[in-house]
Amino acid sequence: MPRIVFRRLVYLIATMLAASLILFGLFELSPESVAVDALGQFSTQEQRMLWLEQNGYFEPAYVRYFAWLGKFVTGDLGMSRVFNAPVAKVLVDRLSATGILALFFFATLIPISLTLGVIAGIQRGTLVDRAITLFCVITTSIPPFASTVLLSTIFVFSLHLLPGTSGMIDGFSFRELIMPVTALVLYDLGYVARMTRASMIDVMARPYIRTAVLKGVPYPVVILRHALRNALIAPFTVIMLHVNWLIGGVIVVELFFAYKGFGSLILEATLSRDLFLLEACTMTAVVIAVATQSLADIAYTFLNPRIRFK
Amino acid sequence: MSSESHPYIPVLRSNLAEGKIDRREFLRTSTLLGLSATAAYAFAGVPNPARAQANMPKGGRLRISMRVYDLKSPHRFNATSASNIVRQTNDFLTVTGADNVTRPGLIEKWEVSPDLKTWTLHVRKNVKWRKGGDFTADDVIWNLKHVLDPATGSSMLGLMRSYMISEFETAEKDDKGNPKKVSRLWDANALQKVDSHTVRLNCKAAQLAVPEHLFHYPNSMLHPADGGEYKLGSDGTGPFELVELEVGKKAVLRARQGYWGKGPYVDTVEFIDLGDDPGPQLAAFASRQVDGIQLISTDLVPSLRNLPHAAVYEQTTAGAGVARVHYDKPPFNDKRVRQALRLAIDCQKILDVTMRDAGSVGEHHHVGPTLPDYAKLPPYKQDIAKAKQLLAEAGHPNGLDLTISCRKEPSQEPQLVQALVEQWKAVGIRVTVNIMPTAEYNRIWTEVPFGFIGWAHRPLGIMTLGLAYRSGQSWNESRYSNPEFDRLLSEAEGTVDLEKRKAVMAKLEAIMQDDGPIIQPVWNKMYQVFDKKVKGAYAHPSQLVMCNEFAVEA
Repeated sequence: MPRIVFRRLVYLIATMLAASLILFGLFELSPESVAVDALGQFSTQEQRMLWLEQNGYFEPAYVRYFAWLGKFVTGDLGMSRVFNAPVAKVLVDRLSATGILALFFFATLIPISLTLGVIAGIQRGTLVDRAITLFCVITTSIPPFASTVLLSTIFVFSLHLLPGTSGMIDGFSFRELIMPVTALVLYDLGYVARMTRASMIDVMARPYIRTAVLKGVPYPVVILRHALRNALIAPFTVIMLHVNWLIGGVIVVELFFAYKGFGSLILEATLSRDLFLLEACTMTAVVIAVATQSLADIAYTFLNPRIRFK
Repeated sequence: MSSESHPYIPVLRSNLAEGKIDRREFLRTSTLLGLSATAAYAFAGVPNPARAQANMPKGGRLRISMRVYDLKSPHRFNATSASNIVRQTNDFLTVTGADNVTRPGLIEKWEVSPDLKTWTLHVRKNVKWRKGGDFTADDVIWNLKHVLDPATGSSMLGLMRSYMISEFETAEKDDKGNPKKVSRLWDANALQKVDSHTVRLNCKAAQLAVPEHLFHYPNSMLHPADGGEYKLGSDGTGPFELVELEVGKKAVLRARQGYWGKGPYVDTVEFIDLGDDPGPQLAAFASRQVDGIQLISTDLVPSLRNLPHAAVYEQTTAGAGVARVHYDKPPFNDKRVRQALRLAIDCQKILDVTMRDAGSVGEHHHVGPTLPDYAKLPPYKQDIAKAKQLLAEAGHPNGLDLTISCRKEPSQEPQLVQALVEQWKAVGIRVTVNIMPTAEYNRIWTEVPFGFIGWAHRPLGIMTLGLAYRSGQSWNESRYSNPEFDRLLSEAEGTVDLEKRKAVMAKLEAIMQDDGPIIQPVWNKMYQVFDKKVKGAYAHPSQLVMCNEFAVEA
């Protein structure tokens, strides 16, 4: 296990270095455009030259790369032009908000989708299975940009039950989380439940399950102790991949509910060409993507000792 | 401000009495010349809308949906929303109301010489900075010098350049060996401190609109000790104090005790940033998470009117969406191409398919029909045959292929562009539309060769023309440069006689229609919405919000 962890760590660092080289090439190789992005379009040529000199942009590219990387590693991410605040602070605030969203998303998604998937899997072909399947197909067919409108129409404009936006202006509000979490869960629930169902059906057909049943082991024990752990391997991978999706792929939901999370931050940084913020967001997204993938791989070997990554 | 020191005020009064000018023209011009709004309204025989409101409820929290941008440099602002936060903490020298009449702000009155070249500003004596100390003439002079310093980068420089600034040669040479020039106050005595509470503007040219220029939204009065920067803790004379600022999220302001002016009635004001998309604004207002929206897209108006708690306020404005070309770039540097772009357009049809009753027909000259300096020209009619002929003469017998850029929001802008594009097809001008994210377009709006953008309302046509079309101004996005236009504009700015000024304006408008760089199909109405529990609410045509005038019913 320690060797696997070490190998994944090396892989993570190598991937990040590669990503940092690409990022640096994309954003920093043209100092003139960096100065325009940093100072704004109305800056004068003189101001831009002064800024470039003060910030070491007349040094050779490799010197600038290592200086840039050094600052990045030590947490000096620069100042956000749009937010007029240290990038690190903006980033932490928005990542925390997305973390809260992710927490409630997974806390809702995992029990519901796994329960539905397991029930459908062990009752394959019954009315219950078909009802669950139909529900899953319908919810997964409605993308978030549609479900957000639907939820808002019902709960904000018709029933007047929930707040229309989730900006958490007065601090944390559970009520403001209900609609964004519901929109995300609805879209994803069917996918994970169907995956769990298929996995469960596959496991339940294995000889060791049949043997356990024939030996007289009570059915609930067979399900919980023997079938579930193996059936969860595939859904676990899917769930881990959802961390990446939650980091950057929920922009539609965040924008619709004015939720100030990491996804909307990436969009704002991109649209306003806030260079240092965009670099930090991109690197953070890369770190999270690689880290979750590595975690998933390590957890895989824990869940299924037969799996070894060479 | 009861003095009728300017000799033209009696002329205005007799013109009004004889029916030669209407009340609007009388009110606007007489107040600019120093007559108090109270006296002007009384003489015009109409109630003064700026009267104090009785029985306003006290306390509570007012929440307004509005973009919360970085506020670091108020004198450089180019968005009214940013100024709407700073204006709660830092007053202006004058205040132009929703009725377009300019009233005293931090100056209690002003006097102007008969030739409109000497403006004497009398600073109020009861105004104190929040951290202590009187607001004085020194503060006024520091602020005006700061906005007029080219290094500051304020659009105030463009407004006041023609009468306060000159270019001087320096000892340095440019690449061609010519002396480099710098802009600075035209005379060492241009900004003169008369006494501790009196400032005199000694202008090099006549200018009628000085009081309105002083209310241009980047011209809030900052404390000199803050050096032009604004942040938490910055000093101010205004009715509120900034206590929390999270760019992109919210700004919170707390009422100040002992404010010299009207109000404030509420305890706190919160500006909440819900992004550019109108959807969250509607949802937040519907669920009463906000009490008002600073600027609403015309698309939202019908939905908002259906909400029982919504009071939608509208204003006819001189704000407009304008398609403009870079005057100096081919093929737009050929006047015939610019004319063809205008002649291809039927403004009434554009209005009918886009804004409907949320706008009115434009005339391609950017001087609003509701403004006192508007001169009516013969209707500008669509002429497809002539447009085709001009294109052919310009060397484009088979038409032209162009790309126009615009921003995604407000949604009426891409709609207007699409309608224009359809009409240009009839004369063989094939235009591809490049709809850009709003923030990205706002970053490069002056740079695209052919673009479309909304211009906010200004109370005088000469202000818009001076900001947008005078040669060399930072907001001259079309790079328009016409010495005759500049000369006539300066003449209009210095002409107090309404009939004479309108005659000059007619020439300016004609130049815009004949030679100008814009296609302006419509005028916009402007909408703001507030919860009915917000008392004293109204829509300001320049999208401004003055929260000290609002109260919230429990």
